[in-house]
Amino acid sequence: MAKAEDIDVDPAEPYRRAGARIVRVRAGELFDHAEGVLDTSDIESVHAMRVASRRLRAVLEIFAPCFPGSEFKGVLGDVKRLADALGERRDPDVHIDALQRFGKALAAGNRPGVARLVEDLRERQARGNELLAAELERARARGLHGRLLALADAAEPEPEPEPGEALEA
Amino acid sequence: MKARRVKGLEPDEALADNAERIVRVRLGELCAFMPAAADPAQVVALHDMRIAAKRLRYILEITGPCFGPYAKTATSLVKELQDLLGEIHDCDVQVPETVAFADALMAADAGALRDAAGDADDLDPALLKQAPHAREHAGLAALEAHLRARRLLLFDRFLELWSDAERKGFRARLEYALGERADVRDPEPR
Repeated sequence: MAKAEDIDVDPAEPYRRAGARIVRVRAGELFDHAEGVLDTSDIESVHAMRVASRRLRAVLEIFAPCFPGSEFKGVLGDVKRLADALGERRDPDVHIDALQRFGKALAAGNRPGVARLVEDLRERQARGNELLAAELERARARGLHGRLLALADAAEPEPEPEPGEALEA
Repeated sequence: MKARRVKGLEPDEALADNAERIVRVRLGELCAFMPAAADPAQVVALHDMRIAAKRLRYILEITGPCFGPYAKTATSLVKELQDLLGEIHDCDVQVPETVAFADALMAADAGALRDAAGDADDLDPALLKQAPHAREHAGLAALEAHLRARRLLLFDRFLELWSDAERKGFRARLEYALGERADVRDPEPR
């Protein structure tokens, strides 16, 4: 399912700390959904991963001022590319599903046209799957998950040194 | 649609204070599409309003619990609005795609029939049976009619949803809730 984990928030928590915490959770959810995503017979996996990618992109944008600009831009760009590739696969999935349901409600004489359009969409779905496979490989090769976690770490403020520690350093 | 930049965000300040600034801007962006998006022909305004609703929904889903109780109601309403605008957008994309697909099949049939006519002085209607896509046109026309009618219906629902939200004071109540702070416990030990 595409249900995201509920994340507790404290109004008084520093913005940057909340951003780091939430990005870690949403990044984990994105990669948790990667398994089975290229299986066109199971359209729920790609749906769940796409929703996770949208949520991750949204939190990155919401907490953008908390992250170091140079690294943030590249990570956000890679998340957008992956989200777009998930959309290229997901859009024909949804359209095919809707047309198949629509076709069942039609008189027999009207079904061949809808079936022909479904055939065409199957080709788009296959192209979308190829694109998605390439983007998943690219995300893996570029260490996207690790970079997201590093970005979250960079947003966290350094802990205040204990009085004794400051003197010893 | 590019999101408006939110000024005054401070990473070291409280989440709720920063979230409040973002929500106020995103709420303003959403509401600014009305009344333009109430014109069914304004496809771009409607599409942009969907994007604005999506941005507002996500910030509310994450930070809504920081605010007064109405933020939760507003989150559900904005999600419903975004879903509905998404369904309308799907129709706006699928109608021209269906028409283009049907046109391509029609053009292919016309070409095939022309070839079948050979040196004839005129086209024999009996040849229509030989058109490669003869059985497919009716279903595509039915689909186009269905999508157009569905778009009309969904658009009416959108207008109803928005006028109901306005009647119930959606914007003012959310703005008020943004000034409130929820009393929640620390999410995790520091």
